[in-house]
Amino acid sequence: MVSELIHICRLRKQKWRQRHGWTRSEKGAVIIVLRSFHCSAVCSTSQQDQKEPKEASERETQSKDRTLVTHEDIFEKAAKNSKTKGNFNRVVDVFTKNDIRRRGHVEFIYAALKQMPEFGVEQDITVYNKLLDVFPKEVFVPRNFIQRMFNHYPRQQECGVQLLEQMENYGIMPNVETKVLLAQVFGKKSHPMRKYQRIMYWFPKFKHTNPYPIPQVLPSDPIDLARFSLARIASDPDAKITVFQYQTTDITETGEEVLRPYIVGIQSPEQRSLLAKHNHCRPVFVEGPFPLWLRKTCVHYYLLRADPIPPEEKVKKEFDPEWIGPEQSLFYPQRVELDLERDIGDDDSFDVDDVEEGPVYAMCMAGQGDETTLAQWISDLQETCPTLGQIPTVFRLESGPGELLTSSDVQQSPELEFETDHIIEDEPLYSKRVKQ
Amino acid sequence: MNLNKLFVLSKSVKLGRNLIAARVGHVGAGCLQKRCIRSSARSLAYAKDLFLGKVNKAEVFPYPEISNEELEEMNQLVQPVEKFFNEEVDSKKIDHDAVIPPETLNGLKELGLFGIQIPEEYGGLGLSNTMYARLGEITSLDGAIAVTLAAHQAIGLKGILIAGNDEQKNKYLPKLATGEHIAAFCLTEPGSGSDAASVQTRATLTEDGKHYLINGTKFWISNGGWADIMTVFARTEVVDEDGQKKDKITAFIVERAFGGIASGKPEDKLGIRGSNTCEISFEDTKVPIENVIGEVGGGFKVAMNILNNGRFSMGSAGAGMIKKLIELTSEYAGTRKQFNRSLAEFGMIQDKFATMALNAFVMESMAYLTAGMMDRPGVPDCSVEAAMVKIFSSEGSWICVSEALQVLGGLGFTKNYPYERYLRDCRILQIFEGTNEILRMYIALTGMQYAGKILTGKIKEMKKGNLGVVFEILGKKLKDSVVKTVDFGLTGKDGVVHPSLTESAKMFEENAALFGSTVESLLYRYGKTIVDEQLALKKVADVLINLYAMTAVLSRATRSINIGLRNHDYEVLLANTFCKDAYFKNNYLMTQLQKNSPENNDASIKKIAQEVLAKRAYICSHPLDRTY
Repeated sequence: MVSELIHICRLRKQKWRQRHGWTRSEKGAVIIVLRSFHCSAVCSTSQQDQKEPKEASERETQSKDRTLVTHEDIFEKAAKNSKTKGNFNRVVDVFTKNDIRRRGHVEFIYAALKQMPEFGVEQDITVYNKLLDVFPKEVFVPRNFIQRMFNHYPRQQECGVQLLEQMENYGIMPNVETKVLLAQVFGKKSHPMRKYQRIMYWFPKFKHTNPYPIPQVLPSDPIDLARFSLARIASDPDAKITVFQYQTTDITETGEEVLRPYIVGIQSPEQRSLLAKHNHCRPVFVEGPFPLWLRKTCVHYYLLRADPIPPEEKVKKEFDPEWIGPEQSLFYPQRVELDLERDIGDDDSFDVDDVEEGPVYAMCMAGQGDETTLAQWISDLQETCPTLGQIPTVFRLESGPGELLTSSDVQQSPELEFETDHIIEDEPLYSKRVKQ
Repeated sequence: MNLNKLFVLSKSVKLGRNLIAARVGHVGAGCLQKRCIRSSARSLAYAKDLFLGKVNKAEVFPYPEISNEELEEMNQLVQPVEKFFNEEVDSKKIDHDAVIPPETLNGLKELGLFGIQIPEEYGGLGLSNTMYARLGEITSLDGAIAVTLAAHQAIGLKGILIAGNDEQKNKYLPKLATGEHIAAFCLTEPGSGSDAASVQTRATLTEDGKHYLINGTKFWISNGGWADIMTVFARTEVVDEDGQKKDKITAFIVERAFGGIASGKPEDKLGIRGSNTCEISFEDTKVPIENVIGEVGGGFKVAMNILNNGRFSMGSAGAGMIKKLIELTSEYAGTRKQFNRSLAEFGMIQDKFATMALNAFVMESMAYLTAGMMDRPGVPDCSVEAAMVKIFSSEGSWICVSEALQVLGGLGFTKNYPYERYLRDCRILQIFEGTNEILRMYIALTGMQYAGKILTGKIKEMKKGNLGVVFEILGKKLKDSVVKTVDFGLTGKDGVVHPSLTESAKMFEENAALFGSTVESLLYRYGKTIVDEQLALKKVADVLINLYAMTAVLSRATRSINIGLRNHDYEVLLANTFCKDAYFKNNYLMTQLQKNSPENNDASIKKIAQEVLAKRAYICSHPLDRTY
């Protein structure tokens, strides 16, 4: 029954739109014929104290009377100097005070919604509430069951839904004020109200779906950001973060300024012991930069890794069977000598093809992705792992951090990559020249 | 039609079973005869046989006794020791100062308590395991002294006693027996105590081949600060038959006088504060090769022998402590008035005393049964039994001390009463000499290994789908479900259990039979991967401990009735109560062990723990948190 009604309403709405030649342009901008504001005189007097953007825009719209002006333009003009929340609010305020009848408010709200991201207020619940407040109160509330049955003021209702929809898309949870406003504007059983209720049903349920949440505001200090990012990638809670170098500028004898970028590294005890056991004849690689996205920020990190250990080199540590067998009572027994396998019915393991990967020994983030910086990192790592000095280190760096590679960049880059793909000797500790 | 067929089938199967049973019975009789002949070299142990669903009643019935002379000797010995502990030992002071005063130690030495089990020819008391357990009841009244004594003789010098040669015995035992020298046992090392790989102490042969140089550090060494003689375990390089060099553990007798030994600061502990626990480090300690205990590379067996057989005395120690607590607490409960009634009249208080009495009774029964088994001629392997005694008594003691403290309420929590000290002291019982977790694994896996070797063939046949075997098993199950009688011959005409305990004995038999089939199904399901099923193994161990405890109380109570000991009716009451309780616990545990049983929560338990461990925190949101 209800769904049928809704369907009818939609049909009516479409027809209505066709009849009135009312279309929304593809970009969502609503073009309207700007009629002269009834209150223009009042406006100009009352807004003497209001300065700059709004006034300017207002005057211009006045001068271009009877021309096609979009509400977007008002925003554009209002924000000539800067697109801030304050300016945005001012535009809304002006619109609200302009006309007691709030003529054209639907178009205004659509335009405002579109402009929100540019003003950086798309995440702000108070702004949404302010926009909702633009709707005249009580006018659209159905007064009897027939009105309630049919789509009462469809354009307005749809606009309200659209506003909530935008909130939903930005993940903004409506608050009590939103609810009160909706009730005042559309009544308790309107479409926007239903939308609100649906949002309030689902949003809390999905609020904590991400097991690895990222804070809304990332740390601004690059070292703190690096700490956060590295801890996020490293799965081992024991992994220790070391700041090898803080950002400093040295002045050389010739008077040049040399920037020493920050280096923040992370290494777990297990990685450390693996690195200590690394076969000295096999090289380790410094690779990167690899991107890590944190909301809208992209940071880059570098790896110290090695190729997988070939099976013949793997030394399986074997304990004395006496020690780990069941016939002793001091140490943890790990073995029973039985010729019986696990029953198929109790074998819950999946058949997984294990693809073996080489070990990753350490990770770092640095202010600069050049070899000097990363070589500095490697030599700092040697403090905790002296054997690293005897291991050939190969730098395989792609173009430095910064922009992510676009598809066209990727096509060009192979040669570049090949060029940078060379070996540097690790100062005095390592004398053997390794050819790749 | 079908039903009829089934009936016929089951009948025939039953017939077949009977035939087989008859044959088995015959073979069994043969075995028994054989056993009688070579009674000195006992290879079978009671607990392991339970894994096969067999009750080897000859091992545990009748309850072991000591001769009248021994009893008299013991009573003579016990009296002065008891007097000494009641009058001379100031446990509160020992606990507070964290040191046993020299005059107390001297008193202990004079009583000969440093050489209880050292043969008389070396100047010790030369007592049996049973007598040692009896003395343990008294020494346990002070935890610190008990641990000091145990570290000295139950593990410290035991190596020399059981595996040393005559020369070593002659050289070291006399001084150790008098307490002039104190011994320590050095096995555990930094890192995790239960990890075999952690033994890093190394002994290298000097060039002249006459000495070993020991290097390394040992942790948690009881008596480490004042020990003169140490049994040290270290890795040595041994060339095996294939000519390959291998690291093997060797046991050494190390005198502090050899030099290069440094002991660390004594640990500040929660309980047994008077005992000395510290770290010992060896640096190029020169040990002559004559001081190797047993053979080079054979140290592991020595260590296991020492540890496996040293644990049984914890049962009597726990019982001794609880008996003392019952005396102390009941006095309070009898005199303290609340609401015009004495505490003793309240049901919940009575419950606590019943718990204490039951636990003390079971512990005692288990400890002396095991001690008696170990005192039999031959080299009985009672390690599983001893481990069970240790687990049961350490956990029982903890519960009982806590209950005793609860009776006193707030008073028990203060230092004016000894309860808090007992509570702290007995916490260590669950930790040292093999943690209870490791011991549970040991118990379960040793039994599984034993049963697995025998059952492997049968299970393989079954898996192959050998109809004969499958039918045999089906028939057995059918028979069990129809005729619900399991009879191991404990009761009835030739029964070994007194008729007043018949019901309990039946319960025990039923449990034992079910245990056998449970073990079989576990082996069928998990095979050698059973090692990884720790939660199942824990249940297996718990069932076995209960079964052994039931055996012990049945055996003991039977003896008491039969010879008319004082208050034997009370023992019957205790035995019946315990058995009924254990029966239901066992049934529940074994139901959990069935495949897909709804009672089994293991998977969820694992998951709960894994989530928490992955985050290293309690991960639930706070109940007051909101999302909007």
